[in-house]
Amino acid sequence: MIEQRVFGAWFRSPVLLASGTCGYGQEYADLIDLESLGGLVTKAVSLEPRPGNAPHRVAETAGGMVNAIGLENPGLAGFIATKLPWLRDNLSKAQVLVNVVGRSVDDYAAVVRGLDGEDGFLGYEINVSCPNVKGGTMFGTNPAALAELVRRIRGETDRPLIVKLTPNVADVGEFAMVCEEEGADGLSAINTFPGMVVDTASRRPLIGNRSGGVSGPAILPMGVHATWRARQCSSLPVIGVGGIRSALDAMQYIMAGACLVQVGTASFVDPMAAVRVSEGLAALVEAAPERSIGDLVGSLDDA
Amino acid sequence: MEPLRRRARLLSGRLVARDTWWMEFDCPEIAAGALPGQFVMLGKGLGDPLTWMLPRPFSVGLTRPGGQVGILIRAYGEGSRALCRVREGDSLVMLGPLGRGFSTDQPAECVAGGVGLAPFIFLADWYRRHDLPVRLIYGERDGGAVFDPGFIARLTGCEPEIFTEDGSHGRRGRVLEALSRDSAANSLLMGCGPSGMLRALAEHAVRVGRRLEVSVEEHMGCGVGTCQGCVVRGAGGDWIKSCIAGPVFDAADLDWDRAGGR
Repeated sequence: MIEQRVFGAWFRSPVLLASGTCGYGQEYADLIDLESLGGLVTKAVSLEPRPGNAPHRVAETAGGMVNAIGLENPGLAGFIATKLPWLRDNLSKAQVLVNVVGRSVDDYAAVVRGLDGEDGFLGYEINVSCPNVKGGTMFGTNPAALAELVRRIRGETDRPLIVKLTPNVADVGEFAMVCEEEGADGLSAINTFPGMVVDTASRRPLIGNRSGGVSGPAILPMGVHATWRARQCSSLPVIGVGGIRSALDAMQYIMAGACLVQVGTASFVDPMAAVRVSEGLAALVEAAPERSIGDLVGSLDDA
Repeated sequence: MEPLRRRARLLSGRLVARDTWWMEFDCPEIAAGALPGQFVMLGKGLGDPLTWMLPRPFSVGLTRPGGQVGILIRAYGEGSRALCRVREGDSLVMLGPLGRGFSTDQPAECVAGGVGLAPFIFLADWYRRHDLPVRLIYGERDGGAVFDPGFIARLTGCEPEIFTEDGSHGRRGRVLEALSRDSAANSLLMGCGPSGMLRALAEHAVRVGRRLEVSVEEHMGCGVGTCQGCVVRGAGGDWIKSCIAGPVFDAADLDWDRAGGR
């Protein structure tokens, strides 16, 4: 039994596709059955369209990759006109979270206000942690700024409000507490780490933006730790994300306290990765004494 | 056709130049649907927990009626080297066919630099089967890197005109010189190779007023449009995903002055 009720909605699987790795869903529709998953988190949506960064935007690293896409997206109006209709018309079982990004509190609030009356999605994942744009980590690394942001967005919507935490802080737990105090409904842990790859032949950074975000299997233990820490410090549901490529990876997050997980970079290696993780989790849950995913959440014996 | 993801068994791997392998995989469904200029993502999948490797894009180098897909791989870095070490009988994971290919309805003059030769092997064979004329101009830095020309002729029925910068194989010089000497101006010009070569080719095409199609190469994450990693600069200044809008573009649709962004 891997179905759960979270954020007031049914998730038929604990596995979602992570923001930035599944476009707006439609791109993967030919390759995987999105409806077999718990859902997906869209590429970030900002108030105005963003062109994104100059190439190279991606580079491989041992155990992962670095990306600096630069939040390329069609903007709020473009998302509503060209992306949301497909999600609304084609997904009925899979839950959709819209990832929201902004340069200011007003930006974030305007995106949420502009989307809130639309159909086709469950709630928001607030991106306070993208390291690829100037100022992109400001909210995620400053407790007072994060508090103000969450409070303001909370005032704009009654939909599920999930904050995607950055790991680039001394203690993720402090930021989890801030989100809970300001009325967030959940947390995603974690976004990428800042990283750089040097092209030794040209002596230049390989990535056009110079630095980017590190994702992939290399960051799995950091994500599991952040999930555990967030659950120690708050009672908010946590979506575990970072480095998952197998059902056992996902189970680490679940035992550490995540009720849902997201598969990201692994989808580039195998578009079916999330479906395989979901099927594998079903088998693991069936074999566990609890027989229910909800009873496995936070079942870590860390005494 | 919609892309398929299949295990592809290596039937034969042959060293055809320095660090360069011609590999033929058994993958009938992808072979049946691929068109010249399209590509596949080739990788190891997620099966082995100790192996992490992003898949890499390769032009389809040939398809055979028996279901074989030919791929030309040059070992540049750790990943391509790992793919070159795959043994006959072992399998990789192939996702494809992907992207938009070359026009295949008019006589063609193809200019290849390095492993940019790969799509033109497929195209030349396609043209032979469809009874269309094709000219193949192929350049490398030095003779050691040149793909065995007899083997190319057997694969395509087309004798490539070979240029090397040091003159150690074929004619000394660069591929563009072949165009300035004698050129079938009524044919469609096509290019695939290093960005400097493509840029020079694009300038040539503008100068002589010919239409040019180019296959571009940019770092790719997914190959299907989700990661937004593989962009090139369009003539209108916008970033265009080379995986789904390309990899073959009309050269006039790209911004050659700001192609790399920096």
